[in-house]
Amino acid sequence: MRSDWFFGNASLSATAFGLLAFFFAGCATVRNPALDRARDAYETARRDPGVAGRAAVALDKTRMTLEQAERVWATEKDVSEVEHLGYLAEKRAEIARVTARQRLAADEILGLRPQRE
Amino acid sequence: MATIKPGMMRRPSALRPMAAITCLIILVAFQISGCSTTKPPTETLASAELTMRTAVEARADELAPMDLQRAREKLERSKKAMASGKYEEARRLAEIAQVEAELAEVKADAEITRRAADGLRQAVDALRQEMERGMVRGTSTGTPKE
Repeated sequence: MRSDWFFGNASLSATAFGLLAFFFAGCATVRNPALDRARDAYETARRDPGVAGRAAVALDKTRMTLEQAERVWATEKDVSEVEHLGYLAEKRAEIARVTARQRLAADEILGLRPQRE
Repeated sequence: MATIKPGMMRRPSALRPMAAITCLIILVAFQISGCSTTKPPTETLASAELTMRTAVEARADELAPMDLQRAREKLERSKKAMASGKYEEARRLAEIAQVEAELAEVKADAEITRRAADGLRQAVDALRQEMERGMVRGTSTGTPKE
């Protein structure tokens, strides 16, 4: 009776095993909304030929942040960190879009110039 | 000796679940804390501050005020978190300030370039119209000057 003041030895091991399995294997099928949004933002930017052609570096930075978020989600399941990285990836995708817009306007200036001369 | 023996017999068996639970608590604590030994994010904060200044130089407070304000807010909160030893929070806020300041900067750049393109397009259109009028009036009036 003394040895199982909390749990029987067998059920204790079972609980421990269950908890460990939960933490390490995690709930692999659970989706993270922030990560989904970041993936969407990256995919949309990547498919836009204007963005892919004019803001490749900003797009690369977006992909790297997204990959980091995916890694943290897959290994540590740290929800708040994944949400944080997802937000950063979304902002990076927006930076890529705006950069592309800026370069498009710059191209327009270069295209207009010869007509003036 | 006879009185000690039952105590010694009992001890290990009573200790085992206790030890198991302690181990579990430590493990769970590690999982929750993310096993991170957080250092002050000095470099991240410095980098965010620098990007902030770059954005101001790019006239972001005039051309992308909302984004710049958002970044400035995060930077202030990051500094406060840093001062009170909340390094994890300080790092995240500095990282957010960094991207928001970058966004403000590129928005300002894009706006300046767009305005330049618009101005040039209008000038080219006006010139073209002037040239067309000049051609209609005939060559005696001369070609329009630039």
